[in-house]
Amino acid sequence: MPTSVTTARQFLTEEATRALDEAVAVARRRSHAQTTSLHAVSALLSLPSSTLRDALELCVGVSLDRLPSSKSVEDPPISNSLMAAIKRSQASQRRHPESYHLQQLHSSNNNNANANGCSQTQSILKVELRYFILSILDDPIVSRVFGEAGFRSCDIKLALVRPPVTQVSSRFSRAHCPPIFLCNLTDTVSGRVGYNLLFPGHEDGIDENCKRISEVMAKKSGKSPLLVGVCALEALRAFTESSTKGKSGILDGDLAGLMVMSIEKEVNELVIEGNEEKLGLKLKEVEATLEKCNESGGVRGVVVHFGDLKGLILDGVSGDFVSHLVLKLAGLMEAYRRRLWLMGAADSVEICRKFCDKFPDIEKDWDLQLLPITSSKSSFDGAYPKSSLMRSFVPFGGLFPTPSDLKGPLSGRNQSIPRCNLCNEKYEQEVDAIMKAGSTVSVADQYSENLPSWLRMAAVDTSKGEDVAKTNSGESMLSAKVLGLHKKWNDICQRLHRTPTFPKLDINASMSQVPTVEGPQFSTDLKQRSHGDLSVNGSLFPNQSPSRQIHMQKKFLPKSTASISCTSEGRNMNFHSGLHMDVPSLTQQTDKDMPWFHHPRQSLSSCSGRTHTPSSFVPPVTTDLKLGTIYASTCQESNTTKLLNHKEHLQHLSGSVSAEFDANSETTSYQFAQSSSCSGPTSGEQFDLGDYKSIRKVLAEKVGWQDDAVNSVSQAVSQLRHRYRSSRGINCKGDNWLTFLGPDRVGKKRIASALAEVLFGSQECLVSLDLSLQDKVDHPNSIFECEELNSYDVISRGKTVSDLIAEELRKKPHSVVLLENVDKADYGVQHSLDLAIRTGKFPDSRGREIGINNMVLITTSSITKGNINVICEKKGMKFPEERILGAKNWQMQILVVSASDDAAAGKSNYTGVRVTTVKEASTCTSANKRKLINAVESSEVEKTDTQEREHKVPRSCLDLNFPVEEADEDDTGSGQSKSELLSESSESWLEELLSQVYKKIYFKPFDFDGLANKIVKEMRLQCERRVGSGVALEIDEEVMVQMLAAAWFSDKKGALEDWVAKVLGRSFAEAGQKYNLTPQSVVKLVACEGGVVKEQAPGICLPAKINLN
Amino acid sequence: MGYNLLEALNVRVIGSGDRYLVLAHGLGTDQSVWQRILPLFTPSFRIILYDLACAGSVDPDYFDFSRYTSLHSYVDDLLNILKALGVDRCAYVGHSVSAMIGILASIRRPQLFSKLILIGASPRFLNDEDYHGGFELGEIEKVFSAMESNYEAWVNGFAPLAVGADVPTAVREFSRTLFNMRPDISLFVSRTVFNSDLRGVLGLVRVPCCVIQTARDVSVPASVAEYLRTHLGGRTTVEMLRTEGHLPHLTAPALLAQVLRRALAR
Repeated sequence: MPTSVTTARQFLTEEATRALDEAVAVARRRSHAQTTSLHAVSALLSLPSSTLRDALELCVGVSLDRLPSSKSVEDPPISNSLMAAIKRSQASQRRHPESYHLQQLHSSNNNNANANGCSQTQSILKVELRYFILSILDDPIVSRVFGEAGFRSCDIKLALVRPPVTQVSSRFSRAHCPPIFLCNLTDTVSGRVGYNLLFPGHEDGIDENCKRISEVMAKKSGKSPLLVGVCALEALRAFTESSTKGKSGILDGDLAGLMVMSIEKEVNELVIEGNEEKLGLKLKEVEATLEKCNESGGVRGVVVHFGDLKGLILDGVSGDFVSHLVLKLAGLMEAYRRRLWLMGAADSVEICRKFCDKFPDIEKDWDLQLLPITSSKSSFDGAYPKSSLMRSFVPFGGLFPTPSDLKGPLSGRNQSIPRCNLCNEKYEQEVDAIMKAGSTVSVADQYSENLPSWLRMAAVDTSKGEDVAKTNSGESMLSAKVLGLHKKWNDICQRLHRTPTFPKLDINASMSQVPTVEGPQFSTDLKQRSHGDLSVNGSLFPNQSPSRQIHMQKKFLPKSTASISCTSEGRNMNFHSGLHMDVPSLTQQTDKDMPWFHHPRQSLSSCSGRTHTPSSFVPPVTTDLKLGTIYASTCQESNTTKLLNHKEHLQHLSGSVSAEFDANSETTSYQFAQSSSCSGPTSGEQFDLGDYKSIRKVLAEKVGWQDDAVNSVSQAVSQLRHRYRSSRGINCKGDNWLTFLGPDRVGKKRIASALAEVLFGSQECLVSLDLSLQDKVDHPNSIFECEELNSYDVISRGKTVSDLIAEELRKKPHSVVLLENVDKADYGVQHSLDLAIRTGKFPDSRGREIGINNMVLITTSSITKGNINVICEKKGMKFPEERILGAKNWQMQILVVSASDDAAAGKSNYTGVRVTTVKEASTCTSANKRKLINAVESSEVEKTDTQEREHKVPRSCLDLNFPVEEADEDDTGSGQSKSELLSESSESWLEELLSQVYKKIYFKPFDFDGLANKIVKEMRLQCERRVGSGVALEIDEEVMVQMLAAAWFSDKKGALEDWVAKVLGRSFAEAGQKYNLTPQSVVKLVACEGGVVKEQAPGICLPAKINLN
Repeated sequence: MGYNLLEALNVRVIGSGDRYLVLAHGLGTDQSVWQRILPLFTPSFRIILYDLACAGSVDPDYFDFSRYTSLHSYVDDLLNILKALGVDRCAYVGHSVSAMIGILASIRRPQLFSKLILIGASPRFLNDEDYHGGFELGEIEKVFSAMESNYEAWVNGFAPLAVGADVPTAVREFSRTLFNMRPDISLFVSRTVFNSDLRGVLGLVRVPCCVIQTARDVSVPASVAEYLRTHLGGRTTVEMLRTEGHLPHLTAPALLAQVLRRALAR
């Protein structure tokens, strides 16, 4: 039973009465039915000197007393915890929308007002008291004290951030005051309201996907969306459902009046039961509807939705039905352009790809555009409970002003309240900035020329409002952006400057603004410009792709077709130039309906196209398809159809063109015939299997020992060719660059020259330069030397290595360029290479550039460090590559010694073959070898003098340059990595370069030991045959190295075996005749130090004669 | 929104070198998460750092709940940033949600990216019939309600779990950034992420990818890395890190940097 106020007052002192009155006032203000203790508390706290406040003060004071005192300091510094609290408050203020924005916006004004002292406001966020208190309350010291006084810090905090509670806008108040601390409060809110109600559009159930679908359809090009993604089907359903329900926002604006018709069921029946009738009827119905379509009123267009694409490519489905359907739809598309859209969904890209393989023209015929769908909306619905903070009653609410207190009565239904001046200004500034950006857009945006055709479409169309510069859609994007800004600043203004509006109404307002306020002015603009723009765009892309296409084909013509290509080349060029003229005019004629160029054949057709009829050749396709089935595999099938189409098309269009053109078409079709594009669903890159195999065969012939490398090189090259041919990824920088890493210098070089032969028709088309030349000491008589370019004189004549390279490149514009030991490149070369890989032009030291797009550049390095996984198999190797590289071309000599001479070395019983070093005592040989092995680990090529090798100290694991802290804290990283990370600049340069090349190929070391064993066996055989068994044979290691080197360098397979059989065998025989060989004698094969080979054996770099001593 | 975007998302470009490298942080962190990786790459790359709109360090006002309903909006942000900076080619390192964003961005602009390095990436977090994403729908709902009822407690429980490895500093750091996020945004974005399913579109990726996966990750099972490898359209390699947890850049930066470097060099 409540008591009247007057009664209560009787019991109180004057002071307390005042407090009570205050409490009553509080209750009245809050229009509460009763005045409770809580009101009293609230009142007490607000009084200037209240006991309650004193009590709190006392608590704090007591706690302060407990703190230890120290020597008094002037201005005791701020404790860590307090400073942390300040930092926290800054952070939380930043997170908190209202005041931060206010501050940010007005900071400039403040600056002007108090010019001195406030200069830092812009960079430093000044914390408001409210936030300061909030964070202080978090401090454990404080919260403990409050706890003792019976308060929970979190409650107090809640009070500070209490959201403005208003009856009407509570659903939307989230935007005004976010819950920062969701402490353990029970959910008192009745009626869970989904967050998604906050979203404009969501109220109508339109989700992001639907928006994007309509975007695709609404484009000028008016593509038919093919949704891809696990949720694609769902999105498709959602779209069709909501559009049939006639929800606003989906088929609006340009798309208003469209009718969605589903042929999904009929398609299913067709596919499963082969029931063609129903589908036929349905399609007739569609056609009838289309007939009736007109621009004004009624049904303006039809969206035919065929459901899941998977249905059309099921195995066992009669292909005839499907292809019939495909053609039928394509026909409809052609006949009712701009009035008919197709729509479907696919689980994954693989399905699309299969479908496209089956029907290569489908993209164009159905006017399809892939639209990735990555989210479903279903799980979103109603999942958002409202923050429980909304209506919680907290005692300290009145302590600090919250935005709602400043708000006037909620009368603000008027949407016309504009932004305040400040916001308006900002808004205009931003719009200006965007407009400026927009105007430069069409130029800036050239990337799409590099995109695969249909991804290009996707990229263009899926772009959102902010994504400026999407060629022809630039303008509309711009208007969308401006709208976005408009809305944003309205919001900001509304929120910050407390223009009382209802978010809901605001949404409506901004929605309606979309088409009305800003829309028209841009759309008219668009119309005015559309003609000009389109033709420009149209001419830009078509020109690019076909010309490059032709170019590339020319470049990569296999040798066998070289002659044909030569004849057709000129024609191509003419063609090409004609194209520049033709296409723009065509584009203008056909205006918006000009299709994008998808495939080379298409572009060819349109460049020759006096008769521009891209899809008029539809009927022949059917027959071609059936012809195609004689091939077993599907991929071949699709290709033959491609090819046939292509031919057909060319013939169809070439009417007026002369016979030369036919020759041209033959070459091109030859190219297509070769490209039986095999696209496994898992292998990322596509390449031509046939091409790959033929390349591999050639390479493997040349370099039999590098199986893996040969495979990857051929794969890379065929991929490249494929990419140049199909319009995918044309001119990706660095695409024509390969890197060979690891040992086997000869193998690399051999492969490079084989590539030159494969790609450019001759081994002569190889430019080979060793970049380590300048720091190499000249080795006279090296076997290897004869092949190398001696650039010494050139450089000394004032030319840099870059110049040298540039010169070579200029000489052979169509070639394979092999740059060996790229890791040794000097700075100038590094710079040039850097530019070359990025720009496709190699600059010399004077800045003149040589285009390298017609070349294949191969950089090599013996470094394998980049990939730890490459197993270093060098351990235990008798003949490391470095040693072989240092082989000298000495004359050889056979010595015959009596075994008794060697008896001292304890080898009297030995009758086999030995490989020894002559200079050293034979017992030391093994030790020496061990040294060699160790030295190899440093993998340094330039070390060629084998005799001077030193034992290398293993690389230290600890790098003192590395920050100690890192080293300490990181317990998982290995020491080696650290030193690796801090690599020298040139090393990082190399890594950078290598990261841009198209492919890295790792080479295995050449198996010299295996070859050595083979040679030894062979020699022993020869020896036994020629001079009889029992005679010991000793081979000088130098000679062995020489033989190995010769075999390695030799082009001919089995050249060494031949040499052993012929030259050495003969010499053995001669020695046998000359000396009286007994089982005691030892035949030694040694090198004549200083004696240069006078006469060389054919096919191998070994002496044709061996001296006998 | 033009130049404004750079400011709003705290875009920074640091380091020297001609190649751009984008470091994109994952959910619950901000760009500071790369701090320990950064010095190792600044000498050779121009590194672009930015915060996702949902990050705690971004003014929550920029987080438009009606806009960020799917990952595409984040992709827009990324592409706009790169556009505003005039970047025409870059390598991209993305962690968790940013890995997804990177995948989508590379589908839209394949020529823009020379390489995607995906750390703790998953095309789909929820389990499906023949796909193991690591989470059941029910579990996720529980997590969400935990986030709702007590964000702080959830953060304190989740952070050590996500970090995985026993690195207290990392836990502290992750808790900090996670807690910096406004709970409602955090929840909203989590929902967006769990609602996303990139499996169907992986094949559209043409850019070479490197998937970096730790030995044990509460958010991403090891099978997912393999799934990515087989389904991503570009050349894809998988690198297994010999460490645990979802945030190797916090727990084992040197190890990660080593792998990153290797991946970037390829």
